[in-house]
Amino acid sequence: MEKELDKVVEEIMSTPNVSGCLVADHQGLCLASKGTAHVDSAGLIVAISEQASKIQPYVKPPTVCLETDDKICLIQRHGTITGAVFKQKA
Amino acid sequence: MEKIPDQLGYLILTEDGAVLESGGELENDERVAIIITDLISLSNSIDPVAFGPEEKFKKISITYDDHWFVICISNKKIYVVKRSIQSSPSESIAVNV
Repeated sequence: MEKELDKVVEEIMSTPNVSGCLVADHQGLCLASKGTAHVDSAGLIVAISEQASKIQPYVKPPTVCLETDDKICLIQRHGTITGAVFKQKA
Repeated sequence: MEKIPDQLGYLILTEDGAVLESGGELENDERVAIIITDLISLSNSIDPVAFGPEEKFKKISITYDDHWFVICISNKKIYVVKRSIQSSPSESIAVNV
């Protein structure tokens, strides 16, 4: 059952500058994680995406981008699934 | 803040979320102010493996289809700007053709 999801995660990981990837459900339970993404941050990532969608609750959930000096974390929600991609800045 | 290109609204907040200055679509928008301060406190404790304890976020952006919010902290104040997303000139040329 997870094969399709694993395939997507592999595909994301093969993209240049991607260091980690995480997929979680609406309860904050980790469905898949790879690379530098830690399973424990699944709940936090879902909480961040939920918090951001509160700004405009009636439109499609937004993409949240957290930036440090040399890294980026992108978080997007799609239905009940939330995905996070950790990247190195190019 | 008013001079920022494509700006739709802005907020300047204290670290606890009180509105110091505001304008445009975000004028006196305390609801968004509270959501954003909560979002910042959530993001402070993200992934310890991917981001080391010394790495603090310097910018958060929240992107919707036609606008985006940029959030930065400077001098213990939270700056929030709502900006519209303009379609790139190459896209509009493509539409015209």
